[in-house]
Amino acid sequence: MKTYWRSLEELEDPRALRIREAREEARQKSLLYKSKEGVDAGNSRRDFLKTLGFSVAAATLVASCKRPVEKAIPYLIKPEEITPGKANYYATSYYDAGDYCSEVVKVRDGRPIKIEGNELSSISQSGTSARVQASILNLYDGARYKGPQKQNQPISWVDADQEVGQALEDLKSHNGRLVLLTQTIISPSTKKIITQFLQTYPNAEWIQYDAVSASGILTANQKSFGQRAIPDYRFDKSKVVVSFGADFLGTWLSPVEYTKRYTSARRLDDGQRTMLRHYQIESHMSLTGSNADVRFPVKPSEEAGMVLALYNAIAGAKGAEQFSGPGTTVDVTPLAKELLENENQSIVISGSNDENIQLLVNGINHLLGNFGNTLLWDSALLTKQGLDEEISQLTADLLAGKIEGLLVWGVNPVYDHPKGQELEAAIRKLKLSVSFSERKDETAAVCQYILPEPNYLESWNDLEPKAGFYSLAQPTISPLFDSRSVQESLLKWSGQEQTYAEFLKITWENEFFPKQNEYADFRLFWNYSLQKGVFEPGTTTTASFNPENLNAAASSLAAAKPGTEVVLYESIALGNGKYANNPWLQELPDPIAKISWDNYASVPVAYAEENGLQNESVIRINGLELPVFIQPGQAKDTLAVALGYGRTHAGKVGDGVGKNMFSYVTEKNGSRQYYFENASVEVASGTTFPLAISQTHHSMEGRPIVRETNLDEYLLKPDAGNELHEEFEKHHVTLYKEIEFKGHHWGMAVDLNSCTGCGNCAISCQAENNVQVIGKEQVRNRRIMHWIRVDRYYSGDPANPDVSHQPVMCQHCDNAPCENVCPVAATPHSDEGLNQMAYNRCVGTKYCINNCPYRVRRFNWFQYVNNDKFDYNANNDLGRMVLNPDVTVRSRGVVEKCSMCVQRIQEKKQEAKLAGRMLEDGEIKTACQQSCPGNAIVFGDLNNPESKISKLFKDKRNYHLLEELHTLPSVGYLTKVRNKA
Amino acid sequence: MKRMYPAETVFRLFPLAILFVFLIISSPFSLFAQPHAPLIEGHSHEDIKRGERFFKGLLPFNSKGNACSSCHNLTPSDTLNWNPSAIAIATKYLGKDFDSFQSAIIEPSRSKMAQSHQDIQLQGEDLKMVKAYLDDLAMTGLSPMKPSINNLLLFLFLGLLITWTLLELIFFRKIKYRIIPVIIFAGAFGFQVKMLVDEGIKLGRSQDYAPDQPIKFSHKVHAGDNGIDCMYCHHTAEDSKSAGIPAMNLCMNCHVLIREGTNSGQFEIAKIVESVETETPVEWVRLHNLPDHVFFSHAIHVGVAKLDCQQCHGPVEEMDIMRQHADLSMGWCVNCHRDTDVKFTENGYYETFVKLHEELEIDDLKSIKAEDIGANDCMRCHY
Repeated sequence: MKTYWRSLEELEDPRALRIREAREEARQKSLLYKSKEGVDAGNSRRDFLKTLGFSVAAATLVASCKRPVEKAIPYLIKPEEITPGKANYYATSYYDAGDYCSEVVKVRDGRPIKIEGNELSSISQSGTSARVQASILNLYDGARYKGPQKQNQPISWVDADQEVGQALEDLKSHNGRLVLLTQTIISPSTKKIITQFLQTYPNAEWIQYDAVSASGILTANQKSFGQRAIPDYRFDKSKVVVSFGADFLGTWLSPVEYTKRYTSARRLDDGQRTMLRHYQIESHMSLTGSNADVRFPVKPSEEAGMVLALYNAIAGAKGAEQFSGPGTTVDVTPLAKELLENENQSIVISGSNDENIQLLVNGINHLLGNFGNTLLWDSALLTKQGLDEEISQLTADLLAGKIEGLLVWGVNPVYDHPKGQELEAAIRKLKLSVSFSERKDETAAVCQYILPEPNYLESWNDLEPKAGFYSLAQPTISPLFDSRSVQESLLKWSGQEQTYAEFLKITWENEFFPKQNEYADFRLFWNYSLQKGVFEPGTTTTASFNPENLNAAASSLAAAKPGTEVVLYESIALGNGKYANNPWLQELPDPIAKISWDNYASVPVAYAEENGLQNESVIRINGLELPVFIQPGQAKDTLAVALGYGRTHAGKVGDGVGKNMFSYVTEKNGSRQYYFENASVEVASGTTFPLAISQTHHSMEGRPIVRETNLDEYLLKPDAGNELHEEFEKHHVTLYKEIEFKGHHWGMAVDLNSCTGCGNCAISCQAENNVQVIGKEQVRNRRIMHWIRVDRYYSGDPANPDVSHQPVMCQHCDNAPCENVCPVAATPHSDEGLNQMAYNRCVGTKYCINNCPYRVRRFNWFQYVNNDKFDYNANNDLGRMVLNPDVTVRSRGVVEKCSMCVQRIQEKKQEAKLAGRMLEDGEIKTACQQSCPGNAIVFGDLNNPESKISKLFKDKRNYHLLEELHTLPSVGYLTKVRNKA
Repeated sequence: MKRMYPAETVFRLFPLAILFVFLIISSPFSLFAQPHAPLIEGHSHEDIKRGERFFKGLLPFNSKGNACSSCHNLTPSDTLNWNPSAIAIATKYLGKDFDSFQSAIIEPSRSKMAQSHQDIQLQGEDLKMVKAYLDDLAMTGLSPMKPSINNLLLFLFLGLLITWTLLELIFFRKIKYRIIPVIIFAGAFGFQVKMLVDEGIKLGRSQDYAPDQPIKFSHKVHAGDNGIDCMYCHHTAEDSKSAGIPAMNLCMNCHVLIREGTNSGQFEIAKIVESVETETPVEWVRLHNLPDHVFFSHAIHVGVAKLDCQQCHGPVEEMDIMRQHADLSMGWCVNCHRDTDVKFTENGYYETFVKLHEELEIDDLKSIKAEDIGANDCMRCHY
């Protein structure tokens, strides 16, 4: 059997690590009773007991005299659609920095509290990402602007309009250059408004800027196909995927959509016999790389040579022209062979922002006949439109003082442009600078006017993320602060008094209503579109390939150079760092490194050994000190650091967390390149930097936790890799009467083949179940509160290991070890197979935690809500608005854990009882399951033989965690099947 | 090694105990210790004080009529008084001028009020002081209820008794029959323990809680005398967790026409109209307060189990002042679940319980109680 290891320490000497961990745990526990300095600063436990007797007696006598009076305040006029105690759901859409997601927002008593995926969208298909899930908390962010400002002083909208209007007129009168700088705009109505604005102000120009640019792909596609867009990648239709550094399951372009499609081509739970094979060529271990069947760690600069070699190999086989250019040491012929075997059903992609590489990738896909089959222009992706050329020109002009006015909307170039600091100075000198930023950011801080836009959950909008795929966004709450949509401002300044909602409706009536013939009446069409959230008539586009530029592209490729290269990547949690003030995202451990609250330098194992580095050592990269994390699978001679950290004007949570790496983004041939070469790296000996690593938590002691096999073995024998299951089942005997579940018996199955480890479930659970943020120090103390964690195990060669992701939540054992050790019966078993946790009964002995073999129980070491020591979202009224009123907010001293979303079970049972019908299979969806982009989680009734869960439990791949302990978990896992050649 | 701390314990606890007792005793008096600055323009403290005396009937000395406060309550009371309370009058006339106040008192438009006000002798300046007092009352609110300290005094007295018996037993030894102080000690100590247990059980419960509401709304008049269905006002009880407090526009369905009640006259109903006109919802005092960790659903009990409202809320149709009928303790919930039959064959949902249905067919007499299908599981209510 393969040996799995969670960290390098464990690979070397598992026993020593366990001893160290045990000591650390003991140290943490001892800290409880002593203050930091070791001096008895406060009351000891003995003092506490002494005073207890007296205070209880006195309190009981006195307390009965006083009782807080609570008020019940009814509606003055009850809105028809609102029933107190019942949630309403509204379809809307998330779009930010290229991430699009159609969603359904749960609104309880006027407060949006949870985001669910919208099943009706063919793009996100009920999936969301961790960032989308966490966006609900952005609505209740204290760093949002409370109203319009001028030079940091409040100003009224009327005055602001008057002053800005005057300034705009001035600029227009002497033809001073005015720039409207936005992120990629995919809203058809907004584009119309911008066009009107540009007509009113002929001196104005509109530039779209993407913090993490896809300019290379856009210009390449412009040259190859005449399309400034990105083709629709149909992973679900392909057999082979080769990705050069594109983290398409994590951060690249449209990860939710791609994850849905990718996993659908790798599922084996419904009798499928084939699987997509995934090759990943990359430098740092990305989420996508961790899911790949075959992974080549290479330096980023080697990519160009490999792409060219692959092109030439395929061109050679197809009899097309071969080009000369930089070579590569990697043998790509097997890769080429496999691609050629799977013509029309493969995909080759590259995450590079180098136009020449992208041109060659287009060439490869063209030769393989993929366009029109797995790469479609009909539904091209429009979510990234920014061209680096335009941005470079803009920065040059700004720095040269050629621009007089700047309107910044939704972007933060002072923070995320490599020349941010110079831009800051240039913006300060402008005659007019207006930021429409919704929340604090570095660019808004230097603008004269801040005219805040409402949060997306407070606004109207329409979106066209893919050609012919429209979606609507509607407000789910009245604006919390004095904000105004940018569209309305632009309309006003163009001399049009109209709300954006009206404008939107007119656009839809004139442009989209005629595109369908389902509804004859616009009002019906509008209402249904709004209800569904999406309108997807589709389009057809023909684009023919133009091979002209390939030769030039190949010859201008740069050859790989010696020296250390540093990769800059977007992290799963923070992305480009716009929402760094969101504590949920800051605390979400990176799916691979399992580090939260910091960015760090990932270094290869061999490099660390040579230089005597350990985790938390400090190195200097071009003078910048960064903590070290030893990353198995990191390519030789490379380092990797995440972007999106080191914010200075994000708010109380995000400020000063990590280092800003955007200034290290290089510009090459006019395009931004997310790595830099020839980095000088030196070890800062003697210093360490603490990292909140949750990696070595929850040790599983080397037992067969993740079970896996390869496709060929699976096809021969469906229980390959899972032989132990049957053996353990045979040994299950009990002296006790078996528990009988008369009604329901809830169970959950996790398909390890579909889980990519993206972390969406953790945030979704956090939002649903009021899981609290505890901060870096407490995460370091191994107290992270997430009810569902995604474990990551490595196996094989540390230089290029295989990775397995495994979500672990409470297993709801029918023979639960935690239940019989509780001295106060606070955690008994329910009639429906749930392992219950009664917070009000728990006295905090933590026996259950110690007796749980899965380490899924969490203890509230502190009062995390309403406590200024934990200065995140739960210590203020605004931040607490996100709390789910259907779940208890736990207090200090009690244990909590996954409840399988019992509030959702109860809600759906109530609905069924009221309707007098039986529950349908799949009606109840847990929070983690509902929005899983990989459809990896299935929940249902094991007593129903027809249910999906019952079928999965009978699947030969199904097994339970530590089933040899006879805990009889209600959670099953399906073995991971790799597809290695 | 043996370590003892008796002396230390006593020394630490003694000042704490003294402080505690002092705080409790001094709290009602401390209200008088801090007079607030007069809030009413043109009136001194003395005026307000004088107004209060008029209101309470202490002035004028030869007053023949009843004191204002004999009809218009100054404190919440548990017996029904249909007359508007002092604070309600005060709030109503806070923003209005003296003339309207005077004319309402001296020349009331309604006969019933005219009858009870006919003996009023207050006039001019005196009435102005009453108005000043009421304005002050409206702005500062009623003085908080003095906590009942009878229990505490009894408890302390028993403590003294215990101390005395102990001293007697150990030092004085004056009483011939030692059994007497022993009995007293046992009795006093036992009673103290009983008090503590009783109070401890009552902690957080509020059976028979019947606070004054901002409007003297009578369930007896509405649900009893006029026979309005409970669901007319609490219409979400059947399909939502919350039975809901009716919105003001629902009250106005009837009260758009009905502006005078048999008991309360116009005063109380006018508050509804005012609330709608000024767009300020009425802040009712909430009676049934379950702890935050309890999730109760009216829909399951009313919509599915078809329980009568009275089963938990008592004879609401006889209550002029709404009162919490049950103690809402967990034992009360659980016992009912043990005794109550589930509508097992009527509701299609329960077809899930195949085995129980088979058992039912074999044994005709058997019925399925709520408890049998897990109603007493922790996570039915606590999550």
